[in-house]
Amino acid sequence: MYRYDEFDAQFVRERAEQFRGQVARRISGELTEDEFKPLRLMNGLYLQLHAYMLRIAIPYGTLSARQLRKLAHLTRKYDRGYGHFTTRQNLQLHWAQLPRVPDMLVELAEVEMHCIQTSGNSVRNISADPFAGAAAGELEDPRILSEILRQWSTLHPEFSFLPRKFKFCVIASDEDRAALLIHDIAIKVIRNDSGELGYRVYVGGGLGRTPYLALEIGSFVAKPDILAFCEAILRVYNEAGRRDNIHKARVKILVHQIGIEEMRRRVEAEFIEIKKTGVLELPAEELARIGAYFADPPFETLPARCEAFEAAKRSHSDFADWVKTNVAPHKMPGYAIATLSLKPIGKTPGDCSSEQMDAIAALMNTFGQAEIRVTHEQNLVLPHMRSSDLFALWQKLVPLELATANHGLVTDIIACPGLDYCDLANARSIPIAQAIAKRFADLERQHDLGELKIKISGCINACGHHHVGHIGILGVDRKGVENYQILLGGSGAEDASLAEIMGPGFDTEGIVDAVENVIGTYTDMRQKGERFLDTYRRVGAVPFKERLYAR
Amino acid sequence: MQILTANRLKLGEVAYWNQGRWVSRLDEAELMSGAVAEAALKGAGEFVRSGEIVAPYLFEAHETAGRTVPVKVREAVRAAGPTVRTDLGKQADLGKKTDLGEKTGLGKKTG
Repeated sequence: MYRYDEFDAQFVRERAEQFRGQVARRISGELTEDEFKPLRLMNGLYLQLHAYMLRIAIPYGTLSARQLRKLAHLTRKYDRGYGHFTTRQNLQLHWAQLPRVPDMLVELAEVEMHCIQTSGNSVRNISADPFAGAAAGELEDPRILSEILRQWSTLHPEFSFLPRKFKFCVIASDEDRAALLIHDIAIKVIRNDSGELGYRVYVGGGLGRTPYLALEIGSFVAKPDILAFCEAILRVYNEAGRRDNIHKARVKILVHQIGIEEMRRRVEAEFIEIKKTGVLELPAEELARIGAYFADPPFETLPARCEAFEAAKRSHSDFADWVKTNVAPHKMPGYAIATLSLKPIGKTPGDCSSEQMDAIAALMNTFGQAEIRVTHEQNLVLPHMRSSDLFALWQKLVPLELATANHGLVTDIIACPGLDYCDLANARSIPIAQAIAKRFADLERQHDLGELKIKISGCINACGHHHVGHIGILGVDRKGVENYQILLGGSGAEDASLAEIMGPGFDTEGIVDAVENVIGTYTDMRQKGERFLDTYRRVGAVPFKERLYAR
Repeated sequence: MQILTANRLKLGEVAYWNQGRWVSRLDEAELMSGAVAEAALKGAGEFVRSGEIVAPYLFEAHETAGRTVPVKVREAVRAAGPTVRTDLGKQADLGKKTDLGEKTGLGKKTG
């Protein structure tokens, strides 16, 4: 895991003290609200419906046990005993009090964390594959490049006032667990025909009111050139992106306005100019230095098959159910990747209590896990579990409500905070997620339905990724009343696609029936082995619409 | 009718205007008509400058059976707290003193 050097540590501490001064000047009246707002946003502090919300950056979704314990402490001491993990692998605290936020930032700095660039028109927290360093078939740890991008983009003077926010994502596997193509710049580590590792770069993805999947702009960017290439994209965007209309200011709009060919031409021209200077060439030594922070933990040589693990599955069907969905293959024999579901039936997706955070940190120590990962699906991942420890882990997770066996199933729902908390929302998301989860709680039924990703947003800004849900739900305000539209056929995985809207929306009661109706069409029409998404893609929207709106 | 609302600067807590002062409960808010409401909103600038409140605006509400009921769900949620955490926000402090949740179809504990 990356460790701050003295410069990083000092900078983050000073930044917290700088914010303390700004808060004091705001409270004393020396700063007006208009002057103060951009300062608080630079530190990830929003004003929401009931209180301030502090968004804490979790770089590429990786946390140490020490950091998780600090987050538990912060939620307990300064907030209301819980935090909310987001689709950008961050943590949000919903009940922050302005005078105490500087102390929160100081405490975060103690564990090498901060809230810088979690808001505002800057390069946001870099997201990455939550299975980084653990997944079978991965070419290299995507967090190496993520960390380099983080260092390059943090307080980058040229890109501190972009037309709009800017999101990066990096993966290094063919399986996409990070919703790669919905990012402004999406980077996939690939190997070319000569066997060299490099980067395929995509640009212009994003959701919101104008959803697009990112388009390829660099088929193979050599490792030393990646910063120059990203700088070229950002420079073109910074200069040509619209600043007159917030809804048309993202790079996706520029890319689709001028076309990917013209975008590629402009970026190439800029790239050549930057390369001439040589200043952004990434030295192999620096890549190796950062890479060393993400070296494998000392894996033991273990047999691929663990008899005790197999026996536990045979004797405990609940455990076997959990393994089926929440345990994934690891690159090393005898190891596994365990997903801790933050989606217990009827609870708030992504919420984690102070007690749960402390307990997970203790489990990390018990089972020798230096890191835990946050997923964009609002779950947590222990990346390097010995298979022989899985049963003991599961037994500890059950009483903590962290062992729900639903990863990737119909109740593993993404939901934004919605109108229960968010100032931008038009409708509530969480109660809809809870009601759907309760309706489909039966595990046998969930397994019968197979992989089914429901994603719910409480407004058009799409923090709940509804455009890439197999079933997407968008909450809207219809004359002051919550109303929910259904979209079908989206995917944020390696088979990415944007969902299509079905038709008129449903009220808070009707939306759950509507989801059941849609699922009924799937179960009636599916062929052997087909997921919901496969059936939808084969038969198209018409049968789903006909049944959904049948009179 | 309209209500003037804002959030308190320090805590971010929801506040309502009632004849010259900021109160915390929707039931205590002053229901105002057009010109009075507009004047109150204009006057709120002074309290923004003094650092008592931020982000003032007007919203629609009416009185039904002696209770103040906002037109939009948003304002019902602001007045009560998260509907999925009835132990938090104003609803927790108000306890059984209000049936706001029922009036607006919210506040039903779902989990």
